[in-house]
Amino acid sequence: MTDMLSIGASGVRAYQTALTTTSENIANAGTAGYTRRVASTREVAAPSDPSNRVLNGLGVTVTGITRASSDLRNAEVRAAGSDLARSEAGIVWLDRIESALTGNKLDERMTAFFNAATALAADPSASAPRATFLQAAATLAHSFTATASAIEGAAADLDGTADAAVNELNTLSAGLAKVNASLGRTAQGSSAQAAFLDERDRLLDSMAALTDIAASFDAAGRATVRAGGGGPLLVQGDQAAIATYARNEGAVSFAVYGIEGSQALTPGGGALAGIAEGAARLADAKAALDTLAVDFADGVNAAQASGDDLTGATGEPMFAATGARDFRLVLTDPRGIAAAAPGEGERGNGNLAALATLRRDEGFESQVTTLTTGNASALAGRRAIAEVQSTIHSNAVAARDAVTGVNVDEEAVDLIRFQQAYQASSRVIQVARETLQTLFDIR
Amino acid sequence: MRVTTSQSFDRPSLLMASLTAQADRLQTQVATGKKILAPSDSASGWQQLSGLKRAGADDSAYGANIKAAQALLGATDTALDQVETQLQRARALAVQASSETVNAEGRAAIKVEIKAILDDLIGVANSTDTRGHPLFGGTSGGAAYTVQSDRSVAWTGGGEPAAIPIGEGESIAATTSGARAFGGIAGTNGSTDMFQILSAFAAALGPDGAEGGVETAMNDLDAALDHLGATRASVGARAFRLDLEAERLGEAEITREAARTGIEDADTATSIAQLQKTLTILQATQASFTKLTSLSLFDYLR
Repeated sequence: MTDMLSIGASGVRAYQTALTTTSENIANAGTAGYTRRVASTREVAAPSDPSNRVLNGLGVTVTGITRASSDLRNAEVRAAGSDLARSEAGIVWLDRIESALTGNKLDERMTAFFNAATALAADPSASAPRATFLQAAATLAHSFTATASAIEGAAADLDGTADAAVNELNTLSAGLAKVNASLGRTAQGSSAQAAFLDERDRLLDSMAALTDIAASFDAAGRATVRAGGGGPLLVQGDQAAIATYARNEGAVSFAVYGIEGSQALTPGGGALAGIAEGAARLADAKAALDTLAVDFADGVNAAQASGDDLTGATGEPMFAATGARDFRLVLTDPRGIAAAAPGEGERGNGNLAALATLRRDEGFESQVTTLTTGNASALAGRRAIAEVQSTIHSNAVAARDAVTGVNVDEEAVDLIRFQQAYQASSRVIQVARETLQTLFDIR
Repeated sequence: MRVTTSQSFDRPSLLMASLTAQADRLQTQVATGKKILAPSDSASGWQQLSGLKRAGADDSAYGANIKAAQALLGATDTALDQVETQLQRARALAVQASSETVNAEGRAAIKVEIKAILDDLIGVANSTDTRGHPLFGGTSGGAAYTVQSDRSVAWTGGGEPAAIPIGEGESIAATTSGARAFGGIAGTNGSTDMFQILSAFAAALGPDGAEGGVETAMNDLDAALDHLGATRASVGARAFRLDLEAERLGEAEITREAARTGIEDADTATSIAQLQKTLTILQATQASFTKLTSLSLFDYLR
């Protein structure tokens, strides 16, 4: 009968553990990165040999807390997350370029500038259309500088974002190295190990959102992480590498220092890849804008120099620019506008035709539109891709959660099941006691 | 497949967020009446729109120039009309003076009248437009005609008046220079202008007037009237061209507006229908979400 008591006791103990595990599952139903735990139980078989024939087993025992995890599904989620994060990070910068190019209405300001010249041609010696023309030139100059500074502001923000992302990657790597160290000291099948493995997978997910990674695991569950495409080691055992960010105009460079010395990091996915693309796009837009500004200033100044101003002198330069950022109006006197062809007299407008020719030949406004629409096509394409990748990512998450996630109803069923098993085991103890009591009561 | 509890909250909230975003986009379309709000909404549409916008801005500048040119041509025509009237009077006086019946007193009276006509014509030739610029001064800023110390009248302007741009690569001279309108007349003794003709006429009427001076003046006045007629015809033709150009601009604007509407404007009926559809789906999602999440086995555990 002692067997029955101990079997009952083992049942009570085992189901207590199972109930605790179920309660923990319920409590963590909303915790990010939590993997459903299962208390695996096994029958305690009695040792038997030919001389000692024991008919029954010795009860039940909990062999360990198992995590219902799937490395394959985790890897899929990480890959989908990398792709999505790359597109989303790229979209941010394309969007910034779009608003920089359209927000200051550069093309409309150019049109206004040339139209003011057309109006001036109708009345070349009057002061009002001259002042209007100069005002249009000033507005255009401001539009150039505002557009350039919007793009430069975006580039500065990009640096800030990249620094933050690299710092986050370093924090995550360091965290993962600590988790690796802890995993080496934790017993297999313990709830502590399960918690560390959850933390490991959560850190890997976060790292994958920053750069594409390839992770491999040893028997103790320690992760070795390489940057994607056979890149440098980021984490190995309890060592973590330090990533850095540098930018020279459009060329972004990431480097990793630590485990294997100093190596370049070329992100093929994740937010870092999106940032690198964004930097290249920003630099391209800035270069195109600078060329446009210099061409515009040179063209207008050449037109000025080919005519006479109101006093009959050769026209002085109207703009000064070495790029879009320092594009400025240098002509301050409306009388300085060279409207007349040489020797034509103050009411001549022959030289304003040079501006119209410049506009037609160079197509400055079309250049701005082409710049804008080129960026817009890229942005629209990127958004469409991101939408698809978002679906892929959420499907991957759903597939993983189907294996690892918690369903409260399921846990409720388990709760009832284990509660009943627990009650039944207690009942076994009671029956054993009563049976023993029957023996004790024999007088 | 296991649907986890957190997923049964996360998925609907994502779906509802995307439905709300879609409803917001449609709402903006309905409110602004535009479906292209940023270049990335439609790159090709944006390109066409900016082209149309530019053409519109150009045409309004050209339209203003056409109005200015029309006013100038009107003023020019009025001035030329006055000149023509005066020259016809001078021609009538020349006919009168050539008559045998006119005695010396009569010729002197005609001479006074011719001088008055000459003064009038100087005034008309120096008339200014609404902006105060001399109409017949060409491109120079000063007065068109000045009376010299020897009492002759000389053109002191310069060049031809600046042509006003009225369209892409098109421009029109809205007035004419004095040298061209009143000078370059093929007179009996070579090229002359109307002031010289009238001065010579006045001189011929004097007591020591040259023989045949009146006949010469009569012939020259005929030539001057012919010349003026040609100039007026040219001014009239230019005014007609401006009318055509203004009409073309008006039509171009209507065509442009039709094109812009086709590209940019949202079809309000479609947008509203889509918005309604989106909102209905959103409401259904909200209702089913509340229904589903209110179901829990724990409610039945007593």
